[in-house]
Amino acid sequence: MNHLQKVIFWLSVSTLVFTAPPLSAEDNRPAKIKAAAIQVEMIQSDEIQLPAEFQIALYENLIRQLEKQGGFEHVYRDGDRRAASASDLVILHSTVHGFKAGSERTRKVTTVAGATSISIHCQFTSPDAKSLLDRDVSGKVRFFGGNLRATYDFAKKAAHVAHENFAPPDRKS
Amino acid sequence: MIRRSTAILSAVALAFAGFVISSANSQQSPQPVKAVQLMGLSGVKDNAKGTLKVEGNQLHFVHAKESSDVSVTSIEDVVTGADTQAAVGKTISTISIAAPYESGRFLALFRTKIDTLTLRYRDGEGALHGAIFTMGAGGAEAIKKDLVAHGAHTTAAEEHRTTPAPPSNPPGKEQRQ
Repeated sequence: MNHLQKVIFWLSVSTLVFTAPPLSAEDNRPAKIKAAAIQVEMIQSDEIQLPAEFQIALYENLIRQLEKQGGFEHVYRDGDRRAASASDLVILHSTVHGFKAGSERTRKVTTVAGATSISIHCQFTSPDAKSLLDRDVSGKVRFFGGNLRATYDFAKKAAHVAHENFAPPDRKS
Repeated sequence: MIRRSTAILSAVALAFAGFVISSANSQQSPQPVKAVQLMGLSGVKDNAKGTLKVEGNQLHFVHAKESSDVSVTSIEDVVTGADTQAAVGKTISTISIAAPYESGRFLALFRTKIDTLTLRYRDGEGALHGAIFTMGAGGAEAIKKDLVAHGAHTTAAEEHRTTPAPPSNPPGKEQRQ
């Protein structure tokens, strides 16, 4: 075996060593929960006084992002009667447990201060109220944009959590 | 006898005047309010500019020659709030980034007061929707009064009755950011 062959051999071995663990880790990932549809309940903020526009923006952005990247066949709104007949339905309950209203003006002037942040506990349950998944998801706006942009950030992250953990029954997880 | 007939005439005149005034008020259509629909209204793009008007038990948002309507009786909650927005437009704000010694940030100090109007309503299937509008200061309260007069519900008034607003809040504003 000449020098070049040795180099190629060791390069191949090292490539295998670096790529094999992630592949095996993928196999060890927990299987996705089967769900074809999701119903989004209105955001609850009993303990934290949340401005009405934040509550609505969280709800509307969440529905939008779940439709966009949640991976569900149907996304139902709070109170939608059609959800009652949906099969493989999960219900998303969101409760605000932290909110800091920043300032767009402060962000623009100082760059480092005035961040808006919101922390929400997301609970995915079955229609019979059995808990399937619990996650704390936060939304932030640090530099640019209005305060409501924090609700968009939260919605994107929450939809990502849903996409990572749920899959339609016919789809390979 | 004369006193009695005078009293009867006065009562009839007052009743007639009351009827005329109330019918005039009911026919009076408030002026449309310029508003920006931030998000939530079905079939309307975010940040669409238009006018808001309450007419015939419907809330109309007229934008780009189209009208999006919400039945007033389907509105479960109307909340007004106060906010501020940048006084300078996006273009000037973007150009100002290039200003030397970060002097462009100075423009960020100038902001104008705006009102927010937040609605919660249900569609024919019972599904809950929300919509957020912004408009010039004072506009949201007028629309809210109109909506409530036409049968919309509001939780803000009930909260005010039970728990008085903190002294820092200006009157007529339920929520502040």
